[in-house]
Amino acid sequence: MKLRTRNPDGDKIEMQMSSMIDVVFQLLIFFMLTLKIIEPEGDFDINMPLGAPAQSSVEPDLPPLKVRMIADANGQLAQLTFNGRDMGRGDEAFQRLNLEVLKSVNALSAAGPGTVDKQEVEIDPDYALDYSNIIAAIGACSGKMENKKMIRYISRIKFAPIRAEE
Amino acid sequence: MKIKSSGSSVPDVDMTPMIDIVFQLIAFFMVITNFEQQQADERVSLPKDQLAKPPTVKRENALTLNLGFEKNKEGEITDPTPYIFFAGGEKLTVGNCDRKLREEAQFYQTIGVKLADVTVEIRADAGVDSGLVQTLIQKCQERGIEFQRFALKATQKVM
Repeated sequence: MKLRTRNPDGDKIEMQMSSMIDVVFQLLIFFMLTLKIIEPEGDFDINMPLGAPAQSSVEPDLPPLKVRMIADANGQLAQLTFNGRDMGRGDEAFQRLNLEVLKSVNALSAAGPGTVDKQEVEIDPDYALDYSNIIAAIGACSGKMENKKMIRYISRIKFAPIRAEE
Repeated sequence: MKIKSSGSSVPDVDMTPMIDIVFQLIAFFMVITNFEQQQADERVSLPKDQLAKPPTVKRENALTLNLGFEKNKEGEITDPTPYIFFAGGEKLTVGNCDRKLREEAQFYQTIGVKLADVTVEIRADAGVDSGLVQTLIQKCQERGIEFQRFALKATQKVM
């Protein structure tokens, strides 16, 4: 009587691992190739009243804060003015703008709750001014980063009518 | 004299740890890979700002307009006129894009999305004229197109 071939439970069942490794490598290479590293992008919301100023919802006794930016021949910032006050040029101009906006915001919050939320900033750039200055101005008016958290100054940003190309 | 006469044998390498490592790598890449395609044209180099945070709540309806310059392999600008890069290789100047913007607006109306819910995300190169971006925003508000919400994009500057 031929007994069943010994197959005690101690014996391991042999598996061919090489094919699995091949498939796994294929998957790995696929994912490595489809990986695309994208820089995180943020954005700033713009409040653009439709059409003529007559339709705008600005409060009559809360005039917008005006930021005027004048460009030089190369599109760089020649002068930044905040409500008529000269802030200078370059990165310092935006830092000064940030401080001035903070002062305005503090004055507004002293005036009453909810006033700061209604306050608008109007950005008025020269046509040829580089776009990066717009973003810097919007950033300076929007708030400040403190300890990785953002403190919000003004939330409503709009643009002045377009200045004609010279 | 006992001579070791066993033939040359390939040493047995235990493959199990290697498979474990490879599984770890695959799991990592599977989690990292984001199959959602954002309409971000690589030719546009956005300006940097500290406060540019990605929105915490993802916008449902966003129309992305990529406004940038044609650049060569070294990254130098080859054409001084900025174009809006549309899908399919189409590129238009801001002055010529009225028809295309109208098509986009009509597309949203056709699928039943209110234009008041659509945000136009403008990804403009840092060197584009400000007046041109303003013109583009104005065009998007013209009669017949009438987008209402806008956002300007920038990359986050890490101090």
